[in-house]
Amino acid sequence: MKNNIAEIRKSLGITQEKLASLTGVARQTILALEQNRYNPSLKLAHDITKSLKKSRIEEVFDLE
Amino acid sequence: MIGKKEWFRRRRYGGWGIAPSKWQGWVYIAVVIGIFVLIQNLPLGDTKNNLIANAIFAVVVIADCLEIMFRLPMDEREKLHEAKAERNALWVMLTILIVGVFYETGMGLNTGIIEIDPVIIIAIIGATVVKAATHIYLEKKE
Repeated sequence: MKNNIAEIRKSLGITQEKLASLTGVARQTILALEQNRYNPSLKLAHDITKSLKKSRIEEVFDLE
Repeated sequence: MIGKKEWFRRRRYGGWGIAPSKWQGWVYIAVVIGIFVLIQNLPLGDTKNNLIANAIFAVVVIADCLEIMFRLPMDEREKLHEAKAERNALWVMLTILIVGVFYETGMGLNTGIIEIDPVIIIAIIGATVVKAATHIYLEKKE
């Protein structure tokens, strides 16, 4: 599963630390997600989508 | 209770438990060691009394450390990593225990008296029971 968390996050001017605290995960988890090394749970994917001010998970995550 | 979770981090590379992540954590450890030394040197009449007092203090410290450990946050990725690391550690321990049983059996065959350490057998049975119980619990929960 690929994602464009990094692009959206940067466009919103949010740091990895800030996104991590918004979603309740470690900064390393955000880093792993941005590098496509970790597939999040549905809940985390939902929380990230919300934190990045997007309405649909598909806007952030691509199941390929 | 006494220590704060912000002062510590979960051990990942040096075994199990917690390790200090801030200077307050190191102060906590220094104070605990200091109290142990103080209790050991208190004039309580008999050395046995000092040992009992230290044992009581040790229970308090262990309870506090466990409480800190359970309050340390862990996200889903960290939980997955921890679970895999624990599984691998268990496999190594199990392998060593089973090799130990075979070794003790082999040695027993040489001497004619087979004596297997009951602690090894209890550890293997205990792990088997806990594994089964965990599966039953998780099947019902999720």
